[in-house]
Amino acid sequence: MTAPLLLETRGVWQRFGGLVANSDVSISVGRGEIVGLIGPNGAGKSTLFNLIAGVYAATQGSIIFDGEDVTKLPAAERCQRGIGRTFQVVKSFETMTVIDNVIVGALVRSTVMRDARRRAHEVLEFCGLSARANVLASDLIPSEKRRLEVARALATEPKLLLLDEVLTGLTPIEAQTGVELVRKVRATGVTVLMVEHVMEIVMPLVDRAIVLDLGKVLVEGKPTEVVRDPKVITAYLGDRHAQGA
Amino acid sequence: MDSAFTERRRRDLIVAIALAAIAAVVPLFVKNVYVQNVMVLTLMWGALSQSWNILSGYCGQISLGHALYFGIGAYTTVLLFTKFGVLPWFGMLGGGVISAAIAMALGYPCFRLRGHYFVIATIVIAEIGLLLFHNWDWAGAAMGIEVPVRGDSWLKFQFPRSKLPYFYFALALACVAWFVTWWLENSKWGFWWRAVKDNPDAAESLGVVVFNSKMGAAAVSAFLVAVGGSFYAQFVSYIDPESVMGFQFSLLMALPAVLGGIGTLWGPLLGAVILIPLTELTRSYVGGSGRGVDLIVYGGLIIAISLARPQGLIGLFAFKRPVRSPALERKEAVQ
Repeated sequence: MTAPLLLETRGVWQRFGGLVANSDVSISVGRGEIVGLIGPNGAGKSTLFNLIAGVYAATQGSIIFDGEDVTKLPAAERCQRGIGRTFQVVKSFETMTVIDNVIVGALVRSTVMRDARRRAHEVLEFCGLSARANVLASDLIPSEKRRLEVARALATEPKLLLLDEVLTGLTPIEAQTGVELVRKVRATGVTVLMVEHVMEIVMPLVDRAIVLDLGKVLVEGKPTEVVRDPKVITAYLGDRHAQGA
Repeated sequence: MDSAFTERRRRDLIVAIALAAIAAVVPLFVKNVYVQNVMVLTLMWGALSQSWNILSGYCGQISLGHALYFGIGAYTTVLLFTKFGVLPWFGMLGGGVISAAIAMALGYPCFRLRGHYFVIATIVIAEIGLLLFHNWDWAGAAMGIEVPVRGDSWLKFQFPRSKLPYFYFALALACVAWFVTWWLENSKWGFWWRAVKDNPDAAESLGVVVFNSKMGAAAVSAFLVAVGGSFYAQFVSYIDPESVMGFQFSLLMALPAVLGGIGTLWGPLLGAVILIPLTELTRSYVGGSGRGVDLIVYGGLIIAISLARPQGLIGLFAFKRPVRSPALERKEAVQ
């Protein structure tokens, strides 16, 4: 990894009562990378995501973003600093139209309504949702809702985009469109950290994969290497990949 | 680019100006004092409900304790006038500022509560306010205070001989509350409030400081309601705790908005125009012997509305809402 660091977690711990969701997790993401965060259910991926996005404050350890310690900052402040996120379970503003959903995001960068609205339209165009701009968010189909999540986050003009299973549960064609969107996002200079389950789709997409298991970093490296790693195969990927190796 | 959007906002503004102009000439033809009285109350409740709608409709923080701010507005004005000779106009402003400050002070702990817990907290706090005023001797305690009326005066804002000045003030108040809502609807605050109402977690992730948004909504809402309370005190020229801070006032602010369409620009005024005359009529025609008939009418209306038009009467007009799907209608009907 030669690119300068954008995000770094240093020995991050998160405990919920007696449950240790993340223990001593240290990962780093370079500028312009697409990094995949994978691991079996309960590995602590979502917890780590929420720690980076600021939903929880880490029990221990620190999170450095863009050269500054953001460990104690609330989520809204982190968004202002340039961390955008989507939610695994989509959280659209259901009673608002698609364009209004995106305007909420755009208002972080400009509180002049005219500018925010223009920016929101550009982002919708970018995400291929322009045709649905004036529809209520509650009327979107699931794959469109996922794209709305991405559009809303992009409207905040993030330096780092956290994608939480945006490709899961989509049809192959929808997922392929999603992959292209992620590539397009990166091409605009946004760094992407994504949690994903669908290995076939995510592995060709990411530059680097980090595997979490039982709250710890198990392996990290190039996707092709990670897939061959015996530890990963045992923990997560299963027999099919073991034979492939 | 967004011609449909700007078009709608311009049309809203034109309709509002036209309606205000029509309302302004009505008293020139309607000389009946009773009817004028009902019109004043309708406009006042419309304005109050519109103000309530800012916090509870747009921002989604349902308050059933707004009587507190109404009462504080009324008491501030009357106390300042009777004890210190301060003109009601300053009292009105002072009451608004005090109410906004109290709303924020109360919001500090209460906005950590969600949903029903928040609603209960607002009811309880307003009841505490009511009890305090009941026992506050300097403020007249349960006996209340009378505004000394000396004759028609704009300076002292009292008009024992005519309803018209009150009517025009109430009309102005309704216009201000409407315009503030209209303006806020297309501002950072309006968008933040709706986002907070729909999904606070998502809002926070998009840079919305949820807590501050709620505080802002509470302050604006409380200020306008207090101005309404201050007006009411001048209008009736006698106040006691029950007659300006009772629980029914909190309900009366919520009902027109709920009936007309909560969280919509026109809902509260529409609701007030239907509800208030209806209440006054039932009260004067059937209320005398069987007390509470007006409340039965209320209840019946609310039930009918929630069955037929859960999003409020405004849903009957194609005014504001974007295209609605049958799926959404079904979902709302279920809720």
